[in-house]
Amino acid sequence: MKHSVLKATAAFFVGSILLNSCKKDDPQPVNEEELITTLVVSLKDVATGFTSTFIFKDPDGEGGNGPTQFDEINMEAGKEYDCTLSVLNESVSPAEDITEEIMEEDVDHQFYFTPSGSSASVTTTDIDAVGLPVGLESNWDAGAAGTGTMKITLKHKPGEKAAGDTIAVGETDIEITFTTNVN
Amino acid sequence: MKYFFSVVFFFCLISWGNAQCYLKVQGSITDPDTHEMLSGADIEIIDINKKTISDSLGNFLLEGLCPGVYDLRIKHLNCNPLTLHIHLKDDFKETIQLTHYYNTLEQVTVNADIQKAGASAAAQISGKELDQTRGLSLGEALKKIAGVSNLQTGTNIYKPVINGLHSSRVLIINNGIRQEGQQWGSEHAPEIDPNIANRLTVIKGAASIRYGGDAIGGVVLVEPKMLSRLPGISGELNTALFSNNRMGVLSGILEGNFKHISPLSWRVQGTIKRGGDAKTPNYWLENSGIAEYNFSATAGWLKSNWGSELFFSSFDTELGIFTGSHIGNTTDLINAINSGKPPDYIADATFSYNLDRPKQRVKHYLFKSNSFIQTGNAGKLNLILATQYNSRQEYDLKKFASSTDAPQLDLRISTYTGEVVWDHHSWNGIRGSMGVSTMYQDNWYQYRLFIPQYQALNAGLFIIEKWNIGKLALEAAARYDRKNIYSIFANDGTTYPDKNFDGFSGNLGVIYAVQTNHRLTANISTGWRAPNINELYSDGLHHGAARLEKGKADLQPERANSFIAGYQYSGKKWQIESEIFYKQIDDFIYLKPTYPPQLTIRGAFPAFEFDQADARLYGGDISLSVQTGDHINLKLKSTLLWAWNISDKDWLIQMPPNTHEVAVEYIFTDAGKWKQPYCKIEFTYTEKQNRVPGTGNIEIKQTDGSLSLESDYAPPPAAYGLTSFEAGTSIQTKDRPINLIVAVNNIFNTVYRNYMNAFRYYADEMGTNVSLRLKIPFAIHKHI
Repeated sequence: MKHSVLKATAAFFVGSILLNSCKKDDPQPVNEEELITTLVVSLKDVATGFTSTFIFKDPDGEGGNGPTQFDEINMEAGKEYDCTLSVLNESVSPAEDITEEIMEEDVDHQFYFTPSGSSASVTTTDIDAVGLPVGLESNWDAGAAGTGTMKITLKHKPGEKAAGDTIAVGETDIEITFTTNVN
Repeated sequence: MKYFFSVVFFFCLISWGNAQCYLKVQGSITDPDTHEMLSGADIEIIDINKKTISDSLGNFLLEGLCPGVYDLRIKHLNCNPLTLHIHLKDDFKETIQLTHYYNTLEQVTVNADIQKAGASAAAQISGKELDQTRGLSLGEALKKIAGVSNLQTGTNIYKPVINGLHSSRVLIINNGIRQEGQQWGSEHAPEIDPNIANRLTVIKGAASIRYGGDAIGGVVLVEPKMLSRLPGISGELNTALFSNNRMGVLSGILEGNFKHISPLSWRVQGTIKRGGDAKTPNYWLENSGIAEYNFSATAGWLKSNWGSELFFSSFDTELGIFTGSHIGNTTDLINAINSGKPPDYIADATFSYNLDRPKQRVKHYLFKSNSFIQTGNAGKLNLILATQYNSRQEYDLKKFASSTDAPQLDLRISTYTGEVVWDHHSWNGIRGSMGVSTMYQDNWYQYRLFIPQYQALNAGLFIIEKWNIGKLALEAAARYDRKNIYSIFANDGTTYPDKNFDGFSGNLGVIYAVQTNHRLTANISTGWRAPNINELYSDGLHHGAARLEKGKADLQPERANSFIAGYQYSGKKWQIESEIFYKQIDDFIYLKPTYPPQLTIRGAFPAFEFDQADARLYGGDISLSVQTGDHINLKLKSTLLWAWNISDKDWLIQMPPNTHEVAVEYIFTDAGKWKQPYCKIEFTYTEKQNRVPGTGNIEIKQTDGSLSLESDYAPPPAAYGLTSFEAGTSIQTKDRPINLIVAVNNIFNTVYRNYMNAFRYYADEMGTNVSLRLKIPFAIHKHI
């Protein structure tokens, strides 16, 4: 009898080992791929060619520490700017440029610009493969002097992007409301 | 199937072929452990409806039988019913051993015994009631029990909520083993195939101490049938079909015992479940399908003085998460709530079985051995060893089509448990169990951090004793537990401090049986729960809920002191079952809203931090059943709950609203082969949950443009009433009865949202669902 109990116990432990031998590998990279940590807004003064950049940066992503850099956008009243957006993942080293991926899949992505108060009126200048706006490139007309905001939203809408989409379509990947100072 | 029918046919021939109807079946019934003769046992030959009761010496006699094949069923209070399959050619005489629950190899039934004759508040579903839930998930099936509701995430994820408490406050015991997965998550359903069970029990009181002092909400027992001790092979096929999501569930059991190696019994069981998108009254819920494949195998060797059993089970599920519930930030969520329905491009989707991202893939394996040795006449010593492995992978929508196919969240936990328990038989009227239990855990993750890697070591000592004296039964239990969590680190190298907790739990219960069918119970208990790893160290975005959750490293254990009182009466005309409870939880761990919202690249999210407050939960449930005439049965049931945060002087969030049920059942007279046909109409009314916190940290823009701080993104949904219909019957065959149940849920295709469903922000609940359930038991009487 004792013999059988021993056998059963031995069988049990062999089973346990088999059950658990099929698990752990070394942990994969710390963060999920394509974490978006940083948005860089570059405004080139069309008249002078001078470029300023304004940055939002939260290197450890959502949760944990708050953003480490959140600039205010400065413009001059009545001036025209060429805007270029750049999206980065700075949680990895070297930083990953996510702008390229947005360009490659521009038929699924769209930036929206929502000004409020003293800000700029924005016209998207780039188009995707089927002729719909993308927003990585845009033209900003600064308004009258004062302060206001510019909300920049990146929408991901795989298979759903269509002409005249409202901002409500799709899932929000970026939503940053910059304070604007028009001097 | 062809083989099955030919076997049935063959036995039909045998039973018709003879006509010498003077044979007798006699014997005596004993308890193999106490050697007591059992009087008052019901002995029934099911096939011909012949019954008798064993006399004071445990003897019984049934006469005038024709030769044939019969199922002899023996039932006795607190014993597992036994069915003997006999081939009657000559007079039959045998001493039949009927094991009491506490003597059986299934150590879980120790508590079933205690609760049944004991003072713990407990309720169970088995037999016909369990048949009515076949095809549903464990959480949904448990809803039949008074005081149990569900915390839901869409149409596939159901977590049991016992008197307002859930997740790590509710222990689930799967075939005697504490289920250890990532049960802290509100969208993590129990990884258990309910088709394994022939009985589901919910224990709210004392007996829960057997499994850990941390079950402050209660314990759910998922208990399989005992292994067959009768030579031959038998089985059961269960199918369930559902119209709404076009789901099919097929589950089978095959079990047997060897005539020439009588101690050896075995069982294999498996379930396949496949469903597509669910439909609300107005639109399909895109990507809400499910695919699940489960199996288990058991082998047992049982002798009179020792026995051993090995059990293996595998659970593997893939759950689609409704596309419209995946949001990027709070703006998306507010848009979803304000539009009142999913966006057209999601709502216009047509039915599909596809399972795309977002989805969950969860696997759970359990391997268990369970052995006992009789320790003379004094009792029985049990050794229970188990190892389980849980893997949970959560797939979000990809950011880019070129993104890798890897899941965003990948958690794996291995658990090893060992228990030594001594059950002792009656000694001066006192019987019970005592034991030691230990558990080691290793948690691992990759990709996104939500909870860190860690190891944990738990050890506990417990004793449960029960004393019967006349109409009074007393029950007392005590337990001491230690819990250490160590080697805690994140994959980026961050380390966290180790944690050690220890404490006592105890219980005292009393039952007073006014008469055998009329009793009063009272139970007081104290229990504690150590903070979970997520409560201590989580830090991140809870995607579906659009909020940031942060652990708090210096949380202390919470302690619950409860009082439960019950009254039960079961007469010929009236049946009453009622229970009231009062639970004070000191240092109740909950998510406390913080302000202001935290800024991220996807906008500001409301932030919550785990914190502690004193809380008070009280309520009760009452069910009333009246039999009018021979055919009509009226049932009323109400479940009430109040959950109050004493420290903040406000209600606790996300507690189940009060519900009320009315059912009218009509039982038809047997008609030929149709046995016990019935039909039933049921109306369930769920109140609007008005007991929610008055303020919070979520900024909601009012119609006048002002901002107010609310505790939730949307107010609790309106009250709703649902009507369902069910009809069923047993169909007598020459072998065993086939059971058939047809049901229609939400007959009027009512549009409603459920406060306890995390997806109430995004979509309505399921519309009309017609289901068909068929249970086909069979036996292959091949003696090997």
